[in-house]
Formats: sequence, C-alpha cells, structure tokens
Amino acid sequence: MSFAKSPALAPTELSDALQTALINVCENAYFVFVEACDGREFEELVRTSGETSTPWLRATVHFTGETTGHVEIAMPERLGAWLVTSLLGMAPEEILSPHQLSDGVAEFTNMVCGAWLSNNLSDETLFTLHAPQVSPVAPGWTPLNQPQDDGWRRVSMNDMPMQIRARW
Amino acid sequence: MSMKSLTILIVDDSATMRALLYRVVGLADLPIGTIHQASNGAEALQMLESHQVDAVFTDINMPIMGGMELLREMAARPEWDDILRIIISTDGSTLRREEARELNVNLYVEKPFRPEVVRDVLCQIASVGAH
Repeated sequence: MSFAKSPALAPTELSDALQTALINVCENAYFVFVEACDGREFEELVRTSGETSTPWLRATVHFTGETTGHVEIAMPERLGAWLVTSLLGMAPEEILSPHQLSDGVAEFTNMVCGAWLSNNLSDETLFTLHAPQVSPVAPGWTPLNQPQDDGWRRVSMNDMPMQIRARW
Repeated sequence: MSMKSLTILIVDDSATMRALLYRVVGLADLPIGTIHQASNGAEALQMLESHQVDAVFTDINMPIMGGMELLREMAARPEWDDILRIIISTDGSTLRREEARELNVNLYVEKPFRPEVVRDVLCQIASVGAH
C-alpha cells in the first residue's frame, strides 16, 4: 500500500491531513478562515446559523489508482452559494443557477481532495480524480444528532457548518 | 515596448474553474485578444485546429479526453510547438509533474492557485511576442 508518504500515516493522521487540506484550500482560494468543531460545537453552530432544516448538499469525489476511495463533503446550500460567489468575485446576493451551484461545489470538493491526495500519497503513486457528484442530502438526514464515530470532521466556515470525511 | 495581443485557450470540465480563469486572465491588465474555452481535450484540439492560440491552460482530469492526452497530441504537432502549455490541476503529485515535464509543459500550477501566478506567466508570453 503506497497511500502515505514516509513515514506512514495512521488513518487518524490521514483524516487530520484531510482537514488540513480543507483549511488550506479555503484560506488560499476563498480567503476564509476555518475552525475545527467538536460534536457539541457543531450542533450549536448548526442551530445558531439557522441551518437546522435548510437544504444541504452532499458532494462526493472518487479517486482511483493504486489507492481508491472517495471524499465526501456536506454543507448547507447557502454555504455552497457563498463559496461560488466568493471564488468568482460575484455579489453575495447574486442568485446562482442550480448548475452553477452544483458545479462550484463540485470544484471545491475536487480541490480539497486533490490537495489531500497530492500531499499525502507516496511519490511513486499516481491517482485519478473522477468527476465529483453533487446532490441534495438524503431525505430525513439532519446535521444534528449524528453519530460521533462516523468519520466526519466538522468545521465552521464563515460562521456556517461544513463536514468532510474520506473513505479508502 | 509594445506587447502582442494574446489568444488564450482554457480547458477544464468545470464551468466554475473556466469562469475563474477567465476572470483572472481579464484582471491581469494585459492585452488579451480572445479567450477560447473547452470542456475537455477533444474540444480543445478542435479549437487549436481552427484558431491561432498563444497559450493553453489545461486541467488534467477531464472526461472524454484528459489534459495529458491533449498535451501528447499537441506534442506530436510541430506547428503547435510555439504554444505555451500551462497545467492547472488539483493533481500536484511528483509523478504527474515529471510526466508533464516530458511533454514540454512550461508551467505546472496546482489548484488552488494565486492569481498572480497566472498573471506572471501571461506577462512572460506577452513579452516574448513583443516587437
């Protein structure tokens, strides 16, 4: 297995690295600070930001090569829209088409996954990122009361909640 | 010293990334002539067949035809030797960079990128064509 650069990283460390990749992309491309949240802080953030029952999106990007897996990100639609308008220098109140929103969230997820893999795969490993898939979260899903051992890393971005995890 | 007007081709399957690059190129305060766009390598080849292009900015992972395949096709066409090739990709792996070097890529930019990196390479292109 040639996933991790030497010295080999434990799964927890790879998840930490994923969170770091997310933070780096946000700060360098979107000029927004990101703060990690524990479960309690995340739920508080969901409530105070008003995103308890608003539409959320889930973006997934699969990668293949010597290592296969996927990265998932879940975020409120409002945060997704903010990311797109911020990246493109659009007015915050500008209304995006569903395709613009979906494509922009997909590209965000693509950048995070690519940054994570580029910085943590061994030098002898090539990977291929596949087109990200973006869709509304499953009916009945809620950002509250999620199991704490589900692998998600939870963050606050622009005072809105986001969560990310990888499976490989 | 006058600068030539540049014709750019942006190749990326993400409309968001094409829009971002379009904006960054426009903000570079350089004489930009035409900015063509393509969503994959095959479309890019069609553009190159019918338009005179000074620089190609291409992603790697794209459906139908990816960036590396596009660059291999370009390398096989001597009439396109003078076109500058810039990769803009989330894939910053060592092996991919080495592969790009072998395909005469002039610059490898990892996403997310700083706008001034694109501006600087455009300045270089513009200056090379100046009279």
